[in-house]
Amino acid sequence: MNGSDILMALAALALAPLIGGILRGLDRILTARMQGRIGPPLWQPFYDFIKLCAKSKKASHRGPVVWAWAYLVLTVTAWLLFVLRQDLLILLFILAFAGASLALGAFSVRSPYAHFGAYRELLQMLAYEPILLLAAVAIFLKTGSFMVGDVLGFEQPLLISLPLTLVAVLIALGIKMRKSPFDIAASEHAHQELVRGVYTEYSGPTLALIELTHWYELVLVLGIISLFWVIPLWVGIIIALSCYFLEILIDNITARLRWSWMLTVGWSLGVGLILLNIVIVEFFGLGLRL
Amino acid sequence: MTAETLVGVLVLLPFIVGGLSFLIRSEGLRKPFVIAFSLVMIIASLWLFLEVYNYGTLVSNPSPVWEYLIFAVDCLLIGYFLYVGITNKHYLIILLAAFQSVSFPLISLPFHKQVKPVLYIDLLSVIMCLVISLIGSLIVVFALDYMRNHEVHHRVNPSRQHIFFFFLISFLGAMNGLVFANSLFWLFLFWEITTLCCYHLIRHDLTEEALGASLRALWMNLAGAVALIIGIGLSLHNFDTVVIQELISSGVVGPALLLTLALFCFTGFTKAAQVPWQGWLLGAMVAPTPVSALLHSSTMVKAGVYLVLRLAPGFVETQLSAAIAIFGAFVFMVTSVLAIGQSNAKRVLAYSTIANLGLIICCAGINTGLAIAAAMVLIVFHAISKGLLFLVVGTIEQQVGSRDIEDMEGLITKLPVLSGIALVGMISMLFLPFGVVFGKWAGIQAASEPVTTWFFLIVAMLVMGSASTLVYYAKWMGRLISCAPDSSGSSEVKAPLAYGTLMALAVLAVGLSFLVVPLVVNVIDPAAVAVGYEEGFKVVGTALATPWGAFPVWPLFVAVVLALVIPALVVRLKPAEVSAVYMCGVNVDERHLVFRSAVDGHVQVETGGTYWTQWFDELSLNKWINAAGIVLLAVLFVGVVL
Repeated sequence: MNGSDILMALAALALAPLIGGILRGLDRILTARMQGRIGPPLWQPFYDFIKLCAKSKKASHRGPVVWAWAYLVLTVTAWLLFVLRQDLLILLFILAFAGASLALGAFSVRSPYAHFGAYRELLQMLAYEPILLLAAVAIFLKTGSFMVGDVLGFEQPLLISLPLTLVAVLIALGIKMRKSPFDIAASEHAHQELVRGVYTEYSGPTLALIELTHWYELVLVLGIISLFWVIPLWVGIIIALSCYFLEILIDNITARLRWSWMLTVGWSLGVGLILLNIVIVEFFGLGLRL
Repeated sequence: MTAETLVGVLVLLPFIVGGLSFLIRSEGLRKPFVIAFSLVMIIASLWLFLEVYNYGTLVSNPSPVWEYLIFAVDCLLIGYFLYVGITNKHYLIILLAAFQSVSFPLISLPFHKQVKPVLYIDLLSVIMCLVISLIGSLIVVFALDYMRNHEVHHRVNPSRQHIFFFFLISFLGAMNGLVFANSLFWLFLFWEITTLCCYHLIRHDLTEEALGASLRALWMNLAGAVALIIGIGLSLHNFDTVVIQELISSGVVGPALLLTLALFCFTGFTKAAQVPWQGWLLGAMVAPTPVSALLHSSTMVKAGVYLVLRLAPGFVETQLSAAIAIFGAFVFMVTSVLAIGQSNAKRVLAYSTIANLGLIICCAGINTGLAIAAAMVLIVFHAISKGLLFLVVGTIEQQVGSRDIEDMEGLITKLPVLSGIALVGMISMLFLPFGVVFGKWAGIQAASEPVTTWFFLIVAMLVMGSASTLVYYAKWMGRLISCAPDSSGSSEVKAPLAYGTLMALAVLAVGLSFLVVPLVVNVIDPAAVAVGYEEGFKVVGTALATPWGAFPVWPLFVAVVLALVIPALVVRLKPAEVSAVYMCGVNVDERHLVFRSAVDGHVQVETGGTYWTQWFDELSLNKWINAAGIVLLAVLFVGVVL
C-alpha cells in the first residue's frame, strides 16, 4: 500500500457516510413525493444521526452494543477492501460477517422481537448471498480476475455481456437495502412498523452506529453495481444511481411479502438469471468480446 | 532415529499402547501413560514431517514377512465381520463379508510380485499424519477426563474404559498406516482396521440405538471395502500392479484405469459418508463424544477424502474428475441445507462435516493446483475446528444434560468459558480470516475457472451451500449468546485435561489461521507440487494470492480484532444505562421478563429457535436427496465409459 492508497482510503472513509447520508435524504424526499407528501429536508438523516448521538446511552445488555461495533467495523473493512481494489469474494465474505453481526447483535439479548428480526435477517442473507457471490463469479468470467482493480481496468462495459447478472444483483440490492417487497427483517423506513425487528433493542448512540453502517453499506453496494460500466466511470455511477431510484420506486409500489417467497425468488430467479447469463457468455459466445 | 523407525513408531506404537491400556485397568495408571503416549505421537509426527520436509519423499520396503502377516490379519478381520453378521443376523453384513472372504484370497493369493515401494510417504502423507497424530492425540487426552464422567453419568460398572481406549488409540495407528501405504493390500488392511475400530467405538455404550448404529456403520463401510477389493482385482487384471503410485502415474488414461479409480473413489465416498451413505455418520453420534470428535475431525472420514485426493492426479482432466466435482458440490449444498432444519447440535455438526468433506471432494474433482491446495487447507483446518466443536458439545452435554441447541439458550452466562470456546470454534468455521473459510474461498476461486463444461453448476452449488452454512451456524451462535437479565452465575465444572485440550485446539484454530501464509507457502504448495500439480498460491506483499484473487490475511485479522475483540473488552454498561427488554406491554418483572399482556394476565417471555422445518425437513427431503446422490454416483461410472 503506497501513499496515494492511504490517502484514498482516508478520503473514502470520510466521504462514504456523507454520500450515503445524502442518498438516504434523497430517498426520503422521493418517497414522500411518491406518497404525495413534501418530505423532510435533504439533510434530515444527518440531523437524525446527531440527535441520536446526543441521547443518553441505554441498552438492555452489552452484547448488542459489541455486535453493533462489529457490524460497523466489518462493513467499513469491506468498503476499504473495495476502495483499495481488493478481491471481490473476500469483500463479500467480510460483508457477510458484518451482516451476521447485525443478526447476532439482535440475538444477544433475550428479546422475542429482536429474535424474530434476527432469524429473518439470516433468511435475507440466505436469499442474497448466493446471488452476490455468483455475480462475482460472472464478473470473473468476463474479466479474468476477482480483483476490483482488474475489473476497473477492463475496457469493455460488463453490462453489455452481463445484463441478466445486473438484474439478479438488483434483487440482492433490494434485499440488502431492506426495501419492499424484501423488507422481511425490518424496513429501512421506520414508518412501516413500531417494533423494528433486529433494531428493537437499539437506541440512542448505538442506533446511530447502525445508521452510519447503513450509509457505508449503501455506498458499497452501489459501488459494486457501478462496476458494470467502468470506462468511463460516470456511466457506471449513473447506472448505480438509476438502480437506486428504481429500488425506491419498487419500494413504494409493492408491499412486503413472505420470506418463503423471497427465498424462492433469490434462489431460483436470482441464481437462475446469473447461471443463464454465464451459459450464454461461455457457450454461445454472445458476450460480444470486443 | 531413522525415518523408518519413526514410521514404525507412528503406526505400531498406537497398537501396542492400545493393547497395554486394555490391560491396565487402573485409571490412575492409565492417565500418565496415555498422556506420555500422546506426547510421543506428537513429537514423532513432527519429526517425521521435518524429515520428509527436508529430505523429500520417503519410500520404505519393510521385510516381505509383513505381507504374510497382513494377509493373515486381513483374513481374521473378514472372518470377524462374518461372525458379527451371523451373531446379529444381519444378512447384508453376512453377504458383504462373505463376498470379501471369497474374493480377497482369490485376488491376493496368486499375487507374488514384489511390491515396491510398500510405503510411500510424501508431504501429503505427513500432513495427514500430523493431523491424525496431533489432533487425534489431543482427543485421546480429552477422553481421559470425559470417559470417567461418562461412566459416572451412565452408571457403568465395572468400567469398560479399557476396551474403549484400546480401539480409540489403535485407530490412530490404523490411520497413520493408511496414509503411508502405497501397496493397495496394505491400504486395504488399514482400511478394514478403521472399519473395525469405528464399529466397536460406536457400539461402546451397548444401548439398542448404539448397536443399530454400529451395524449400519459396519455394513456401509464393508460395502465400500467390497468396491475396494473389486478395484484391486481390476488393477491386478489390467495393469498387474497393486502400487498406487504406478496406477496414477501410468500416463495412459483409459476406461480401464478410470473404472478402477472410480471404484476407489466410491470406496472413499462411503468412508467420507457422502450422500447417500451419510446415514452411518449421522448414526455414529450415539457414541461417546471423543469418538464423534475423532471420526469427524482427524480420522475415518478423512481417510475417505484422503483416498480421493491421493488418486486425483490419476484422473486429471477426465469426465470422471468433472463428475466427482459435481458430486462433491452437490453433497456440500444439500447437507448444508439439511443442517438448517436440525436442532440437535451433534447432528448439525455431522451435516457440517459431510458438507465440508463434499467440498474437499469437489476440490479434488476440480483437480487443478489451486483446487488441490484448497482441499489440503480444508483438511487441516476442518480437522482442528470440527474436533474442537465436537468436544465442546460433548462437554456442554455433560454439564447441561442435553445436546439440543434449544437447551443451550444463554449458555454464555452459565458456562462462559465453554461457550466462549464454542464461539471461537464456530467463528473459525464460518468467517473469513480463519482457515476453513480461506479454504472455501480458494475452492470457489478454483471452481470459477472453466476447467470443465459444468463448472457453473459447481460454483452455483458451492455458493448456495456457503450461504446455508452461514445460517445454521449463526442461529446456533445466536442461541448461545442470548442473555436473559435473570441469568444466574456461572456453574462451570472445569476438568483440567478436558478444558486444557479445548483451549489447545482453540489456540491452534486461531493461531494456524494467523500463520496461514507460511503454512501455505512452505507446506501446502510444496505438497501439491510433490503430487504433480503446479503451485496454487503465491505471496504478493503480505497477501496470499491465487492467479486471480488475493487474500490479505493480516489486515483482515486487524479488522476482526478492531471489530470484535476490542469492543468485547471495552464496552461495559453502567447500571444506570441498563434498560428493560422491550416486550410490547407493561413490564411487570424486568429481571424475569414478565409483562402484562392484552388480556391482563402476566406472561413470562420465552424465546425459541426457528428451524423452518416446513422447508428444511430432513425426512421429506431425504428421499429426493438420496435419489439424486445415487444418480450422481451412477453418472460417475457412466462418465468413465464415455
